[in-house]
Amino acid sequence: MIALPAILLFLVIAIFPLVSSIGTSLYDQSLLRPERTFVGFENYLDVWDEFVARVGTTLTFATLATIFPVVLGVSLAILLNARIRGRNLLRGALMLPWLLPGVVVSFLWAWIFNDSYGVLNHLLTMVGLPEVSMLGNPTGAMAAVVIAKTWNSFPWIMVVALAVLQTLPAEQIEAATIDGATRSQRFRYISLPHIVGPVALVAVLEFIYNFGNFDTIFVMTGGGPGDSTTTLAVSLYQLAFGSYELGKASAMGVLWLILLAIISSAYLLLNRRLEKR
Amino acid sequence: MSRGRDIGEAIVRPRLTIPGRITLTLLALFGLLPVYWLTATAFMKKEDVFAVDRPLFPVDPTLENITGFFQNPLLLQNLANSVIVSTGTAVLAVIVGSLMAYSLSKFRYRGRSPIMFMFLIGQLIPGALLLISLYLMLSSAGLLYTYTGLIISFTTFTLPLTVFLLKGIIDGLPDDILEAAKVDGLSRLKTMFQIVFPLIVPGLITAAMFAFMRGWSDLLFALTLAGPAKQTLPAGLTQAFIHEGTADWPALMAASLITSLPLAIIFILLQRYFVSGLASGAVKG
Repeated sequence: MIALPAILLFLVIAIFPLVSSIGTSLYDQSLLRPERTFVGFENYLDVWDEFVARVGTTLTFATLATIFPVVLGVSLAILLNARIRGRNLLRGALMLPWLLPGVVVSFLWAWIFNDSYGVLNHLLTMVGLPEVSMLGNPTGAMAAVVIAKTWNSFPWIMVVALAVLQTLPAEQIEAATIDGATRSQRFRYISLPHIVGPVALVAVLEFIYNFGNFDTIFVMTGGGPGDSTTTLAVSLYQLAFGSYELGKASAMGVLWLILLAIISSAYLLLNRRLEKR
Repeated sequence: MSRGRDIGEAIVRPRLTIPGRITLTLLALFGLLPVYWLTATAFMKKEDVFAVDRPLFPVDPTLENITGFFQNPLLLQNLANSVIVSTGTAVLAVIVGSLMAYSLSKFRYRGRSPIMFMFLIGQLIPGALLLISLYLMLSSAGLLYTYTGLIISFTTFTLPLTVFLLKGIIDGLPDDILEAAKVDGLSRLKTMFQIVFPLIVPGLITAAMFAFMRGWSDLLFALTLAGPAKQTLPAGLTQAFIHEGTADWPALMAASLITSLPLAIIFILLQRYFVSGLASGAVKG
């Protein structure tokens, strides 16, 4: 009984909307007119090409914006696990990029990358390097949003990796040392296998979050230049609230949902395997 | 004894080599310099920021960007909306979530695993997928562009988080306490309010603050479901600055700093809960 409010609330605000978008996707429905007409799978045919193109962009963004924070976060965790002065202070300060709201992160990097007045070009000019136009061209814009997202999410991975490093089997490492294992051997055969599982889990989770990312891209590039950074989330938003095509946007959402189900099962499988260990 | 532990500690936690130190410095600079630039720009004069010989630190610091924020009625309204909606989200998520967590933790019933599974999956659903249906639902319920509608919508992504966080904490309570309460003749509801909740007050506060932070940071729902009058800071700032074309960067950085401040304060208060909360994988902003 006491669980009822949560279940009801969650069914109504999360599960029902997912199911009901299947319904909406079968209608020609717009925010501009009250009535809607049944069109069957027509919306799906209309958005298919757009969907395929957006999946490509989304995959590029999500993959890059996962690999970089993972590499950065794990490296920092290993370095911060060493005995250095001011370790706790540094660790706390490095949480800041994660604390800032996504919108603030995006404003900040858009400002850093600003063509005319941005600090990046200012610094490049100072050391005699040519200026770069990050947000003005497709490759630069993709790099820019990946950098911003990397900066935003590495602290989370760093904290998880640090927590895992706290649980390293100290006796095993000592024993290996006594048996003459070198530092890199100990890392390769004891530490690394120990952290791979949990890090893989957060990596998949990070990938799933990045796949649905909206803030970073919408604020920094608005999906441009052209449609070079238009991911599924941005595209769906533009279709629904820019062109008011609710039916087509819902069709796009349903296709996305199918894809998400496949990716999520990878996460759930990994989660289950790690829990068994 | 302690000497032995020191040696063990030295092996597991070696000193950093020179290349290690250099790498750490470079990575730390990547992490921290942007934060410096955010803060520095917020205190710079507009003419300095757009000058040819731009300084890299506020040579002639000014508060005009900060005071500008507090003199802008639109941004003040956004700030007020953010406080109301995020607080509401935190309260709703904790009340509903703690009941759910208590039930999942201390009772065995049919459908318990599917419910847990549902909340686990719930964490993975991107907001954009719910957007259109939420919009239509709120619209037909007359809740579009209202605080209530926003709070209910924000609870989609805060509820799974609160449930798992609190379940972890309630799992740690010994069953003896609950059995003693049962022997004393307390009803389930009374046990919950009189025994369980007082014991997990720190956990309830932590969960509330995590929910607050996520509500505070949301852009997508605020942009579409809030309307101009109930818009929270992230959406308000996006429309006020970015969409006008030419951005007043120092003012935007000042506004960003003000938007981030509550989260920094919460982080300082909650620091010791962060690692366990984050590491459990249940928490992500």
